[in-house]
Amino acid sequence: MVRFVLNGTPVETDDAPDTPLLWVVRDTFGLKGSKYGCGAGLCGACTMHVDGAATRTCVLPVSAVAGRSVTTIEGIGTPDALHPLQAAWVEHSVPQCGYCQSGQIMTAAALLERNPNPTATEVESAMAGNLCRCGCYPRIKAAILAVGALAHDATRSEETPA
Amino acid sequence: MNTVNVSRRRFLRASALAGGGLVVGFSLSGCARAPLPIDPDAGGWVPNAFLQLTGDGHVRFYCPRDEMGQGVSTGLATIIAEELDLDPARFDIVFAGVHEDYDNPAMGMQVTGGSTSIKAHYAPLRQVGANTRALLLEAAALDLGVPAAGLRTDDGHVVHDGARHPYARFVATAARLTAPQAAPLKDPADFRWIGADFPRLDATAKATGTAEFGIDVEVPGMHYAAVRRPPVAGARLKSVDTGAVRDMPGVTDVVEIGSGVAVVAERYWQARKAADALQPVWHDAPLARVDSATVRRDYEQALAGGAVSDGVDVGRVSGPSRGDVDAGMATAETVVEATYWAPHLAHAPLEPMNAVLRIGDGEAELWTGTQSVSGARGLVARASGIDAERIRVHNTYLGGAFGRRGTLTHVTEVTEIALATGKPIKLLWSREDDMRHGLYRPASLMTIRAGAAGGRITAWDARRVGGNITPDTIENALPGLFPAIGDRGVRWIAGAADYAMANWFADGSSIEGLFEDYDFEHLNVAHVTVDHGLPLTFWRSVGHSYSAFAKESMIDEIAVALDADPVELRLANTRNSPRLHNVIRIAGERMAAMQPAPGRHLGFAAHHSFATDVAEIAEVSVTDGRIRVHRVTCVVDCGVAVNPDIVRAQMEGGVIFGLTAALYGNLQLDGGAIRESNFHDYPLLRMDESPEVEVIIVDSGTEPTGVGEPGLPPIAPAVANAVFRATGQRLRTLPLTLEA
Repeated sequence: MVRFVLNGTPVETDDAPDTPLLWVVRDTFGLKGSKYGCGAGLCGACTMHVDGAATRTCVLPVSAVAGRSVTTIEGIGTPDALHPLQAAWVEHSVPQCGYCQSGQIMTAAALLERNPNPTATEVESAMAGNLCRCGCYPRIKAAILAVGALAHDATRSEETPA
Repeated sequence: MNTVNVSRRRFLRASALAGGGLVVGFSLSGCARAPLPIDPDAGGWVPNAFLQLTGDGHVRFYCPRDEMGQGVSTGLATIIAEELDLDPARFDIVFAGVHEDYDNPAMGMQVTGGSTSIKAHYAPLRQVGANTRALLLEAAALDLGVPAAGLRTDDGHVVHDGARHPYARFVATAARLTAPQAAPLKDPADFRWIGADFPRLDATAKATGTAEFGIDVEVPGMHYAAVRRPPVAGARLKSVDTGAVRDMPGVTDVVEIGSGVAVVAERYWQARKAADALQPVWHDAPLARVDSATVRRDYEQALAGGAVSDGVDVGRVSGPSRGDVDAGMATAETVVEATYWAPHLAHAPLEPMNAVLRIGDGEAELWTGTQSVSGARGLVARASGIDAERIRVHNTYLGGAFGRRGTLTHVTEVTEIALATGKPIKLLWSREDDMRHGLYRPASLMTIRAGAAGGRITAWDARRVGGNITPDTIENALPGLFPAIGDRGVRWIAGAADYAMANWFADGSSIEGLFEDYDFEHLNVAHVTVDHGLPLTFWRSVGHSYSAFAKESMIDEIAVALDADPVELRLANTRNSPRLHNVIRIAGERMAAMQPAPGRHLGFAAHHSFATDVAEIAEVSVTDGRIRVHRVTCVVDCGVAVNPDIVRAQMEGGVIFGLTAALYGNLQLDGGAIRESNFHDYPLLRMDESPEVEVIIVDSGTEPTGVGEPGLPPIAPAVANAVFRATGQRLRTLPLTLEA
């Protein structure tokens, strides 16, 4: 039995300990937003946060998250309460087929957590491991930079007395 | 916005649970035929195959084409919404089930592909929207007791005397009336949504992980299947010891199917591990004698008129011709000849093939993301013996397709597995399965000899060697689309097509793009079929994906030989193609104004495909032998841009998909087996390698033409032409690789 925290809720599973976290989250707990793309940690479609760090879960045995906190795309925002990145994704019409986008957003969210206002080069570097077959990269980059700029503006307005 | 998908998901679930009541709908031709695959809400009105207005104010759009990322659900919703006079963002979008009313007008079949959807549905869906709006107005006049002439509509409301009445109020009366067949259409000058930019209707669902793909579907009692297939296409199973894996955790069944051995388990990971543990032994197959080097050598030998490998047939046919090419070459001042190579490629959509099937008593339900729900239904019917009318197919979002989801061997597999085990099955291919057991873009060897005189390209002699795309596609598509044709019939028809296209006439898909765009006085096209047996199919932009590379590289080579400006040369030789001429002119003006930074060089290419004209400029640098594409400017004329932002997105995507092929794509055969297996050895372009893409849409006022594919063909030659300017090296082989 492996116990961990999934989107803030303690859960436990009797899936075999070597089962990749991706399948446990998708099939045991029914959260389908995280996708299978390569099964080898090469494409990033399965990206979740484990204790806040963007992690490839198609190659991460569920036993490795025992006692840890896992956040999925469902845990950062919903259609009725979008995360700022999700709002930017809509605003910029980022998705095409959409299959890789949960992973893209989770990697971007982890980036913005540690670097709220990244440069274009920092975005490219952080996102280089997330593949998009449809070629949405220009829009993914623009959407992340737009959220970063918002954070930057917010910081500046806090710093600047009215 | 989020309601679009939430309600769609709820609808799919509800219809799955209810088993699907059917409603007889209003067919476009006015005669009642097969029942529509629509579940009517209580009090809901279904005026035609595409719409349901519910009593509580929802408007459901039954999207006849498949959403693989190209934005078709937004585009088609916009077209029908414009004439219905309702903000398309308020539609609930449902992917249509199988019915002839949903056939692609461009094909006469329920298939999505060929960049046809917006072009083919533009006029019919405008008419459907207009007819429905006219009927609502007529009903409103009756219900309100006022003359119809005093009524107008505004975004889902009938407006009378300043009062706004939602459409839903008139649904009950409208349901009793007969719809007009040719209600007047809007003046395009009055369009509110066609031509406007607004977010894709599926953006929220896809940004929140709530969009449902085939891989996400679950049904009660579902088990998971993984399949082991032969490493060499066409090999049959000789033997397999299943004893060891039957005792593995969760494994419930191990069954032989047509394509190999399937393992069924309670969980996907259990099925995958058990399938990987199998050690099947396969019979030999003819393809096992073929390496990539064999393919290239045989193509070169065939081009030179020589012998190829034993057992490989060579067929030679003439393609289009005009004038007298020999005379044209004889009178030319300059003759340029070159040979170009394009390798086999995989589609590699990010969602691997999958399908969920539940077989009941004489009926079945299939969930999958496909470019042809009718083809999918036919395959289930064929493999199960169940009457097609009693098989319900639920299409989902497609996690990429690019031509790959038109061939549905996985649907046949899931049917065989569900029949053999008696369980509802989710079949999921691994990435390695996708890379190694699919169907591929054919390799091509192309030679072009061109003669020029007085700044005009007067003679063009083009020759392509390779396998033909169409016969394999026929062989794979016929069984599903025409289930009544038996297996022997399918083999006969596919064999006849194969023979005819090798020996009687050229396969249009295999030579398209090699010769059409310029005003050659003398033209000769020839095709040499050499097919080693690797399964082939349509791959985004099909023949254009390689022919544009040869054609537009050759135009650049001629410009160099003539010491001519490559844009001026194109302009001087496209007088008979005014729309292409115009995008070349506009792009040429942009290029003339560009001042690339030191070390960066520009390359130009233009191409007509899928009725759309595109010119692209690539800004490229070469450092330590590495090609880097910094910026691409794309000028496109696709007629009316129904959603300009989606047109831009498709050009961006076409460029980046094409760059992956231009810089990396190289699928290789080792003893008939695909060498590549996953993204480490079949890399895709990454964000930090991806150019900025600027898209300029030319408004020519014509009806819309394709955008899903036409952005791709010009990019490889634009980059190759830029590399020539950067290095002096003329790269004629894809993927583009500099000599050390």
